Amino acid sequence: MIVRKLVQWFWDIVGAVSVRTKILGIVLGFIVLLGAGVTVQARYAVTTTMTAQLEEQSVSISRDLAARSADPILLNDLLRLHDLLDETLANNSNVRYAFLLDSRGQVIVSTFEGGFPLDLLTLNSTQPSDHHHTTLIQTDEGLIWDTAVPILDGKVGSARIGLSDASMRAALSTLTAQLLLTILLVSTTGVLVAIFLTWILTRPIISLARATQEVAKGDFSQRVKRWANDEIGDLADAFNKMSEELAITDELRREREMLRRQLLEKVITTQEDERRRIARELHDSTSQNLTSLIVGLRIMETYCQQCAAQSKASDLREVASHTLDEVHDLSMRLRPRVLDDLGLAAALERLASEWQGRYKIPVDVVIQLNERLPGEVETAIYRIVQEALTNIARHASAHSASVLVERRGDLVRAIVEDDGIGFDVNTDHGERHLGLLGMRERAELLNGTLTIESTTERGTSIFIEIPLDLSPPLLSPDLPTIRL
Amino acid sequence: MSRVLIAAYRLMIVAVLVSCSPAPQNQVAGTVDLNNLQPLPTASGHNAVPLRVAIAAVISPKGTLESYSPFLFYLETKLNRPVELIQRRTYLEVNDLIEHGEVDIAFVCTSAYVQGHDTFGMELLVAPQVDGKTTYNSVLIVPTKSDGQSMDDLRGKVFAFTDPISLSGRVYPTSLVHQLGFTPEEFFARTFFTYSHDEAIRAVASGLADGAAVDSLVYAFALARDPSLKAKLRVIHTSPDFGIPPVVVSPFTRPQVAAELQALLLGMATDPDAAHALASVGIERFVLIEDGAYDSVRIILQEIPIPQTP
Repeated sequence: MIVRKLVQWFWDIVGAVSVRTKILGIVLGFIVLLGAGVTVQARYAVTTTMTAQLEEQSVSISRDLAARSADPILLNDLLRLHDLLDETLANNSNVRYAFLLDSRGQVIVSTFEGGFPLDLLTLNSTQPSDHHHTTLIQTDEGLIWDTAVPILDGKVGSARIGLSDASMRAALSTLTAQLLLTILLVSTTGVLVAIFLTWILTRPIISLARATQEVAKGDFSQRVKRWANDEIGDLADAFNKMSEELAITDELRREREMLRRQLLEKVITTQEDERRRIARELHDSTSQNLTSLIVGLRIMETYCQQCAAQSKASDLREVASHTLDEVHDLSMRLRPRVLDDLGLAAALERLASEWQGRYKIPVDVVIQLNERLPGEVETAIYRIVQEALTNIARHASAHSASVLVERRGDLVRAIVEDDGIGFDVNTDHGERHLGLLGMRERAELLNGTLTIESTTERGTSIFIEIPLDLSPPLLSPDLPTIRL
Repeated sequence: MSRVLIAAYRLMIVAVLVSCSPAPQNQVAGTVDLNNLQPLPTASGHNAVPLRVAIAAVISPKGTLESYSPFLFYLETKLNRPVELIQRRTYLEVNDLIEHGEVDIAFVCTSAYVQGHDTFGMELLVAPQVDGKTTYNSVLIVPTKSDGQSMDDLRGKVFAFTDPISLSGRVYPTSLVHQLGFTPEEFFARTFFTYSHDEAIRAVASGLADGAAVDSLVYAFALARDPSLKAKLRVIHTSPDFGIPPVVVSPFTRPQVAAELQALLLGMATDPDAAHALASVGIERFVLIEDGAYDSVRIILQEIPIPQTP
């Protein structure tokens, strides 16, 4: 459990930092770990060696002192003994104290001046048969290796020497300081080298990441440099290959899209033209013919009063008149002449009026246009509004509807709203979906946008925006056009 | 590669384990404040007043201690009181101790006795008898390699004296040089004092000195103790007999103590317990001796004066 937490904690930290930090961390961690290990090990080795040396030194110095002090003790030559101790102290920097005891354990001379630490006497002693006897004593000045050596088998007395570990501690401190300094220097060098290495390592990765972001934005011209002949170099090559492929594919897709839109535009234009022709034909020829027929039938009705056919002619006229209305209606729906002749405002008002008359749903129309719009814009907005109203009539169960068309600078904006049952924009499919797709296609062909906002039971709003800066990029001259 | 890594990894683990183990720490015997200095207690006095025995540095202090330990132990046992050995570097210092009653009994050199007796009343107690005699000689020794046959051949050489007032070690060889018409300073290239006879023997044996005059008893004793000296040393001259270095008491020694000591020493010859003590100092027995035994020494000392004060 704890292990898992530790691992998780480790990954939290490792996962949160950049590759550069990771590599720096590895280098620093390794140097510090190695340095710490070496320091501890060196301290241990030096301590062991120097402890042994101190003990040996303690023994050799005290045995030397014992040998040299035998005669002066026997001769009661205190001055010589005093000199001996002074020499011992002067010639061995590690010696903290030295003193000589007579055979009864009385201190003859010592290097302590003005007194003697009496506790010291009992802490170490020798038997006549001893070569030496060393004990470790804790003092206020650190550890002392105290060695006692009998003089002439203890008949004369004994010599005591105390070796301080101060020099050992100083050596250890110096060693530690030097090692730590070395670690610091090596760490600094290591960090600099690591920074350089990570720069070499991450530079291609960063450029790859940047290029990938550009590709994601659609710029397939991005190419990265192959910095080195390694795995990242291979990755860079693969990336460049992918960019090329993507560029080619994108070019193909754009061409196809262009062709599709040109085709669509052509279809729509052709459809409008055809509708206009049929509507004109119906109005100019068929309606005229039917009107002539009706006039003929009325004359026949008038001049043939006894004629049994009178009532028949009246019936025929009714039929013809009805047919004429239908032809008008058909013509109107195919392509209202008023759109060509009087413009979008009049056409929309007429459309709304007829729609309101037919479906008995009140519709509020507000048109704020001071001048005629380009033909294709007028047609597009008219058809979109027409489709929207048809949808409202068919699906919305609305109680009222509104149409707003206004010009805002170089933008024409149209809003069609109803208070019907609404629908889910994202999941709606089927016939209405196709209709919505067609409306959007019309808007987008003119670089416009179409947005639908709908909430169930709260009605539907359709926003259309079409720019009037009409230089459609889709019809740029360098692209192939489709002839129908 | 991976094997190397594994080996390195193992090495690291071992290093870490070793590093983590505690540094070697011997058991601390106790704690002392080295700067808390107190006056040393005065030596607790002996239960009984010790017999203070001075032994002149005929042989070195260490040698004296080793040789006389059984003898002193014998005295301690018989007298049932502690015995304190007191040594000094020179004969004169010992004489000074005797003169001022700082020792009870002393083994002194012949000339030191003559000087002490004639100046402050040093008293003869007994004399050791060695090889049935209570006399000794001064022997002139040279290294075996040396081709010297007499004192005359040692001219311009290095000569080791023992003590400034030693009869056998300085007075007698000086008289030999005087007979040749020189002072030692003129005759020898260099002279030095060893302050004991065994050291003088060592100085010649090691080649440090080209010659020395030593106590015949000490020389015989040294040869017995270290037979290898026989191959290194050669005697080229032996002096006439002189009175043997005696055992004396201070003028301050109480007569009954002196009597008790005299009786004890004289009785050693018949005491089986004393055999080891006598053997260790190379003495057969102690015998009584008259001051007249040292008159021949007085004649030489008139010719070669010795320092009077330490």
